[in-house]
Amino acid sequence: MAEKSSDEIKYRILKFLDVTGFTVFDPMVRLAFGEDPKKQVESILKFMIIPIIFVLACIALWWKVAPNHKTKSGEVPTPDIVWQSAVINDTFSDREKTKESDFLLVGEERLETLAAVEAMIESNNAILTELQETLAGHVADYEAQLKERLEPLQAELDVIKEENKVIASEMKAKVEAEAARIEAGNGSSDALLAAIREQGAKKDEGRALESVVKDQIEVIRSEKYKPMEAARLDVNAVADEVQFLKKRVDFLSSANRSMKVAQAEEKLAASAENLAAATTAKKAISEAKKVVRGEDSIARLEAQQYASAMTVYTQIKRSLFTVFVGFITAAVIAIPVGVLCGLSRIAMACLTPIISIFKPVSPVVWLLIFQIVVGAFFPDPDSHPFFLFFGSLPILGKLGINPALVFSACTVAMCAVWPALVNTALGVASIDKDHINVARVLRLGFWDRLIKIIIPSALPLVFAGLRISLGVGWMVLIAAEALSSSDGLGKFVWDEYQNGSSFSFANILYACFVVGIIGFLLDRMMIILQRFVSFDGSNTSL
Amino acid sequence: MSYLEIDNASLGFGPHDNRTEVLKDVNLSVEENEFVAVVGFSGAGKSTLISLLAGLLQPDKGEIRLGGKVIKEPSPRLGIMFQNYSLLPWLTVFENVALAVSQVYPKYSKAQLKEHVEKYVAMVKLTPALGKKPSELSGGMRQRASLARTLAMKPEILLLDEPLSALDALTRAEIQDEIINIWESDKRTIVMITNDVDEAVLMADRIVPLTVGPEATLDTPFPVNLERPRNRTTLNTNPEFRRLRNDISKYMVTLNEETKALSKNQVVVDLPEMMPLDFTNLPAGPARGRRRKKVSSDKGGKKSFFK
Repeated sequence: MAEKSSDEIKYRILKFLDVTGFTVFDPMVRLAFGEDPKKQVESILKFMIIPIIFVLACIALWWKVAPNHKTKSGEVPTPDIVWQSAVINDTFSDREKTKESDFLLVGEERLETLAAVEAMIESNNAILTELQETLAGHVADYEAQLKERLEPLQAELDVIKEENKVIASEMKAKVEAEAARIEAGNGSSDALLAAIREQGAKKDEGRALESVVKDQIEVIRSEKYKPMEAARLDVNAVADEVQFLKKRVDFLSSANRSMKVAQAEEKLAASAENLAAATTAKKAISEAKKVVRGEDSIARLEAQQYASAMTVYTQIKRSLFTVFVGFITAAVIAIPVGVLCGLSRIAMACLTPIISIFKPVSPVVWLLIFQIVVGAFFPDPDSHPFFLFFGSLPILGKLGINPALVFSACTVAMCAVWPALVNTALGVASIDKDHINVARVLRLGFWDRLIKIIIPSALPLVFAGLRISLGVGWMVLIAAEALSSSDGLGKFVWDEYQNGSSFSFANILYACFVVGIIGFLLDRMMIILQRFVSFDGSNTSL
Repeated sequence: MSYLEIDNASLGFGPHDNRTEVLKDVNLSVEENEFVAVVGFSGAGKSTLISLLAGLLQPDKGEIRLGGKVIKEPSPRLGIMFQNYSLLPWLTVFENVALAVSQVYPKYSKAQLKEHVEKYVAMVKLTPALGKKPSELSGGMRQRASLARTLAMKPEILLLDEPLSALDALTRAEIQDEIINIWESDKRTIVMITNDVDEAVLMADRIVPLTVGPEATLDTPFPVNLERPRNRTTLNTNPEFRRLRNDISKYMVTLNEETKALSKNQVVVDLPEMMPLDFTNLPAGPARGRRRKKVSSDKGGKKSFFK
């Protein structure tokens, strides 16, 4: 019995792997259940170990080659730096979350946290001074070493410069002598020209000598003193932490929501008192106005949310939201139109020119067109009811839905509609003639025929089309966001490109991986859906 | 007047100036509860004939009548069973049959529908596979499911379009018996199309040969006067069975030879004088591609083992 149930579990796992397209892990599962170990080990070696070695080799190649290429944004980052940038982005996101919770803290808890944070600042400051001392030591060390190494070169350079000066004055004298001879009438112009030429040649020679030494100096200066660099990084990290903690203190005290509200209430109470004690009409009016304003501002403060900076995770959420809006719009248009095209050759003939002409148009062109068109619908987006409505929703409100998102989504829809449409039409048009005969024999009506025969038979191709559409949509979206400054991963990349800090390049590569991994997961999701609707049980993917 | 009648029906395909007449002046009358087998070579137009009977195609000329009424469109009264099963691959066996049943008996309740479907699936001995999809079934099981679907519609006439030609010999014999059993227990008119003379003699009351197309037509029927139930093991020694089989086979062979002669008389081809190229000088290597196919077909190729 136990034997049987373990078999069942095994087949369930295998089935799951098959459906999700992770058949690579098949042998591992089989091995875990003790099925023909020799064969499993062999296939693990062939289809897992070798590919892993290959990927590692690619990473190693990247590690080796990247630093050789110097760009204006520094060296091409190596994998460890990209990883570091992922960590930095993650820390940044965590800090934003902490700040937000600090902003919202109230009462005892706030005071306790405040005390804890202040204690942390104390201890961090102690560490910071220690580290700064170490750094100063390393800096002094470095300076000393530098001086020691540079001094002989500098001396050499000075000697060369001296010599060059002497030669230059000699040459100058020679030229002047020739010129003087011409003035006296016994010189020749040829001799003068020769002298000037010699002067130039000597000057170049001297410079070349100087530059050799200068280059050497430059190389020594640009050499990195590893202990110092490491110490500097440590100092920066702690200083960063301290700054963050100071910001937290702000949010826990003066910038805290409850504190702001309390302050405003105090002011209001004062105004109300003044109003009650007012003796002149003028005074009463001004105090009453203060009270009204005070009440309004309290209401506003109470509803205030923390204005979080865009972290990479928010960007991802927003990109996913945009791509799904676009993709669902595309599907909603493509499927009915595709079915119509598949059913009616006239409809197909009508739509063929439109599909053929608009399908190859670049997403960039669509983006610009939609930017203009959508912009016209929302002349004043900040107060437009459409955006106010989305802004008031609980989860979507945080994504910051704006016209840029709308036209990015429209661009995605425009580019994603074609594969789904064409595949749906193909699926419907290529329905098996036998199935149509069955429908005729059963005398199914139009709708029954559509719902019971045509659509189920076309579904696998429809989903194949949708899968391509989602892939296209995701690619287009990143470009659209970069171009339209609609918040999302595309904008993250674009901002990094514009910003040019020492980590920009690494951040761009990091975003490249994030985009790739999310694209892969979306594709896998579609494969699973496709597997559920495909009735022939064939493999749908790599 | 017979129950099912084909009256001088002709049907052709193609444009006017280059029209191929597939069937020409076909006449057939089938009595109620009769089992008629139509025997013909592949490509003779057998499937076209059955499509005409089912109402899937309309004749250019002539009429097809069921109980005196012209057949104008397919209907559940004419239950057709297709050569290649035609099960809907996204539905289970139960759902496939249920789709047909709910179309014929729209007023059935869920329980009635279930009972009806299960009865017919049991009749073809497919109950264990009720919840399976066609892709999970063998060819024979698919054909049974298709048979169940057709029978479940309770058609007045069963039109079988080469129902067994895609099956292996053993499964074929099994399903032949089943069709006969069902027919005997639940009398019904059957028109079966086949290319297997033995099968026709074993199952039918009357065998109608279809001449070779184009312009195929039905020739004089051979009545089969063998007693029922017919036993396939003893039948081989039955003189009547052997005579009939020989007659029909001989007739079919003459048909084929006639057409061959006909086509020879029509098209005189001057064969060009050719000498085969000498390939013996080529480096020896394993036979590949066409050459290999040629070699394998020379070595016996595919020939039915049972005939």
